[in-house]
Amino acid sequence: MAPYPAISPSGIPSFPRLFMLKNAFLTLLALAIAVVGGGGSVWYALKTQDGIGAIRIGPWTAFPDIGTQAADPYSKARVAREGILALGQAEGLSFIAERDSDGEQLKRQCAYEIEGGFPTARFWTLYAADQTLGVVETGKSRLAALQSYQVLRQPDNAVVISVSNRPAPGNWLLSDGFGRMYLVLTFYDTPIASSTGLSDVTLPQIVKVGCNA
Amino acid sequence: MRRLLHVILLGLLGAGIVHIIVLLLVPEFSERNAWSRLAMASDLYRMTRLDAEAGGTPVVKSVDPLFYAAACRFDLSEGMVRVKAPGNVPFWSVSVYDRSGHNIYSFNDHSATGRVLDSIVLTPAQMIEIRKDLPEELQGAIFVEASIDEGMFVIRSFVPDDSWKPIVSRFLEQSSCELQDY
Repeated sequence: MAPYPAISPSGIPSFPRLFMLKNAFLTLLALAIAVVGGGGSVWYALKTQDGIGAIRIGPWTAFPDIGTQAADPYSKARVAREGILALGQAEGLSFIAERDSDGEQLKRQCAYEIEGGFPTARFWTLYAADQTLGVVETGKSRLAALQSYQVLRQPDNAVVISVSNRPAPGNWLLSDGFGRMYLVLTFYDTPIASSTGLSDVTLPQIVKVGCNA
Repeated sequence: MRRLLHVILLGLLGAGIVHIIVLLLVPEFSERNAWSRLAMASDLYRMTRLDAEAGGTPVVKSVDPLFYAAACRFDLSEGMVRVKAPGNVPFWSVSVYDRSGHNIYSFNDHSATGRVLDSIVLTPAQMIEIRKDLPEELQGAIFVEASIDEGMFVIRSFVPDDSWKPIVSRFLEQSSCELQDY
């Protein structure tokens, strides 16, 4: 075999061409890392993030700024991607619980007791939700939701609610099925929706009673 | 080897820049935001039910199961928009959103005269125009001044129990969203 010519027919030495190829490859690699890493990290952040702009009270989390001009870029992107129309300040404020008061994830197959006082509001609603924050499908005519006009109260105005797939005396929030559960508590026409009102709010506890294994 | 490390570092730096750019561009280019979904379901100035109760899958997630909601899209560059809904329901609240889903203004039935929903959304320029000579029929309306062109008007109404369902449904179905000329 003939030795590799030091000069290519076009007159350019061949080794810089190899060198250029390597350069192009490295540039492409850097670009690939940038595009995939940048895009992927945004996707991941929008899928999982729940920390920015959140206010935590016990097991409950609220995002008072979501859907406003003052929201952080992550909330704004999430609002746009998921087509959320967030409640305005004069409408109400939603709290979401993902874990019980002991820090364990809420499960649809478990029974819980929600107990305590509720902050001032014209009324509130509470419902059991799935991953998409839509109401849990129970397959029954009873909704997995309660509202404050229909609950029974303790002498000190506190409310005790049993979350279970079996009927319970007192206030019963039906839940059914298996898997993760979220509890969504929304206060309507409430002074706590303005952020100054949130500083000394107490919300009820969520205590696990037992599970149907 | 040092070159490769150099390239990876450069790539990660680029990833950071891309992350920020993509994050800021998502709201601009999202095809799935509330405005696009509503646009697929109905025209401008048409009240559309957002909850699943009206049949079919919900257009925009209207989160609370004890609420019914309806929305219409408007364009203030064509003129101001008037939204009315007759009837008496336990609770209603209203939000005005801009095209990208930011809440511009909200109020509820306690802010309205006689708890009747009658509202006008208009730009500051149109507000100056209409203040010169306020028509008689607009005296009781709630004026929402918004420096936007395209936007959405959402009415939410509370359904305390099943017996209220037909009443609240009628309230939302009889609501109107009209372009006004003065």
